[in-house]
Amino acid sequence: MKKYLKNTWDALWTIFIGMKVTWKHLFIPSVTIQYPDEHRPIPDRARNRLYVNIDDCIGCMQCQRACPVDCIDIKTVKALPTDELGLTSKGTKKALWVTQFNIDFAKCMYCQLCVFPCPTECITMTKVFEFSEYEREKLLYNFSNLTLSEVKEKEENYAKFMEKKAAEKAAAAAAKAKAAAEAKAKQEAEKKDNDNKPSSEEKDS
Amino acid sequence: MYDLLTNLLGNQIVAYVIAASLPLIFVLTFVLFAVLAERKVSAHMQDRLGPMRVGWHGIIQTLADMLKLLQKEDIVPEGADKTLFNLAPLLTFLGTYAAFAAIPFAGIYVGSSTAIGIYYVTAVSGLVVAGLLLAGWASDNKYSLYGAMRTAAQIVSYEIPTAIAILTMVMVSGTLSLMKISDMQTAHFWNWWILGGPETGIVKFLLIPFMIITFLIYYISSLAEVNRTPFDLPEAESELVSGYHTEYSGMKFAFFFLAEYANMFAVSAIAVTLFLGGFHSPIGYLGHSLGIDWLVPVEQFFWFTFKGTALVFVQMWLRWTLPRVRVDQLMVICWKYLIPYAVVNLIIVGIITLL
Amino acid sequence: MELYDIIFYLVALMVVVSAAIVVGSKNIVRAAYSLLFTFLGVAGIYILLGADFIGVTQLMVYVGGILILLLFGIMLTNKVYSVDIRRENAYIIPSIVIVGIFAAFLIFVMTETNWVTADPTFPNTTVFELGKTLLVHYSIIFEILAIVLLIALIGAATLARNDNKER
Repeated sequence: MKKYLKNTWDALWTIFIGMKVTWKHLFIPSVTIQYPDEHRPIPDRARNRLYVNIDDCIGCMQCQRACPVDCIDIKTVKALPTDELGLTSKGTKKALWVTQFNIDFAKCMYCQLCVFPCPTECITMTKVFEFSEYEREKLLYNFSNLTLSEVKEKEENYAKFMEKKAAEKAAAAAAKAKAAAEAKAKQEAEKKDNDNKPSSEEKDS
Repeated sequence: MYDLLTNLLGNQIVAYVIAASLPLIFVLTFVLFAVLAERKVSAHMQDRLGPMRVGWHGIIQTLADMLKLLQKEDIVPEGADKTLFNLAPLLTFLGTYAAFAAIPFAGIYVGSSTAIGIYYVTAVSGLVVAGLLLAGWASDNKYSLYGAMRTAAQIVSYEIPTAIAILTMVMVSGTLSLMKISDMQTAHFWNWWILGGPETGIVKFLLIPFMIITFLIYYISSLAEVNRTPFDLPEAESELVSGYHTEYSGMKFAFFFLAEYANMFAVSAIAVTLFLGGFHSPIGYLGHSLGIDWLVPVEQFFWFTFKGTALVFVQMWLRWTLPRVRVDQLMVICWKYLIPYAVVNLIIVGIITLL
Repeated sequence: MELYDIIFYLVALMVVVSAAIVVGSKNIVRAAYSLLFTFLGVAGIYILLGADFIGVTQLMVYVGGILILLLFGIMLTNKVYSVDIRRENAYIIPSIVIVGIFAAFLIFVMTETNWVTADPTFPNTTVFELGKTLLVHYSIIFEILAIVLLIALIGAATLARNDNKER
């Protein structure tokens, strides 16, 4: 009987103790972070979406080579000597037009291996991690700041320049050949004139 | 109320229909807020925030859920008995809603001021069991059937302590009419039955501890009758998916939900009427002191809803405090603890009232 | 036709139709649930006659108690042991004959009896009078009934007790 009464009392009493605990918790500020509105601070060295400061890029392709999943795709066109590409922020002289700098974030695995080799520190990790898309194509980020027409122009320019250079070279070669032929003719003529002369003269010409 | 409406509309039938639909409006509004309150209370007790996105602090979340449920496909399982399957939610809600007919919301509004109000309410709660059993059986699902069986066993068992506790109250108040019981506890809160009622002298002070015991017995067994935690075995999510309403979807599921929350308020309203002064204000009426007659019923309605909602809040509070009991523990609590206490309490209260 | 009559006919229709389903349905669970509506209708008729206490007692005892136990039994046996309990309406013609004779007899009695009609005033409450009748005039019968119920209860408990000596 005593046990029975004590049992009842214990049951009621422990219920009240439990209710006290939950009552206290009713007024404790909640631990919820309302995610899209609030964010937890992201650690300083967190690896998230990449960003390329294309103005600093010298098109060395070291990041492309470092990438273990081949998600970076760079194409460059050599600049003409007359083009003024400016300097990077570290003072390196740029010599290439970066006509294409694509990073496919559907492939990227955020290993940060591309960041270390960059000589100009132009490819960096940002704190942006919410960039999901409905279509996979939209995850292909293009960092190059040249428009398609500009790219075409640069390519054409380079092609023209190369043609011109080739033509110049060809002309130079032709001129050279001509000169050489002339020299040869002259030599032969001289040879005819004086057969006795040492062969070292031939080398000079 | 009927006379007023009959005079206003000139038609008896229309007046009856309107008077009978008034609790429905109340129930729907109550459920809208109770569901939100449940989620908010549960969230804050677990240091969370709960629904926050629909409206200010998620205030119209339930409305959004309601819209979602309305649009859902109405699935009837292949092996189910279609007629009975469709009948079950209606029967469950019928049992709950019928109880509202005898609950006095205010001095001027009670569905039926029948002389046997509390007896009627106890009887029609039986319909809920029939509905739940039907739901479980017609679903053709073993979990539903288990849930229904548990519900029936639980509600039939716990009706006994509930009935004895109500009997105690009927004995001390000497009437079955809920209106009369409410009117006995008018004026101030020391006239509430839980504080000895309108008795005077030594009897009042002798009654207080036993009234508190009666209240606790009634409250605990009413928790079991509405399948609330710690007695929510019929819908035990972790064991039976969700018991008798596993197979229900869309609007029919909403009906069960509605019935459950309406039932929560119904048992709280009975507890309020029997023990906590019913619709009467604990501190006197502003309407009386200002001389504005129409303010009194408004105040009465406010106090009734306030007290009822407070008890519903305690139900939620208990839900997030206590774990679910086992089936054998459930029966032990009922047959070995509540019923003996209730019977002994009944006898003692009887002796005290004879003094 | 007043509201009272409309309600009476609706309730009576409900009783008759659901009772017919109880008799005619082949699915025993459906029959049991039709019985629920029969009980409800009978309770409604009691209440319309002014016997509110009896009406609610009808609800309490039959709907809340007996019907639930009935359903409990049907559902457990029907499902757990997978015995498909279906009723067969075997003796249709003999039953119609017997029911017809009985109905004719009832109608004869009802029309021929000289009914003693009570005071037509609608009683406000029946509880007080009922209580007085039961506990003053028929108190001995009431007590004996209580003892019979107690004996039934003890008997049920004894039958259900686990007398297994192996424990």
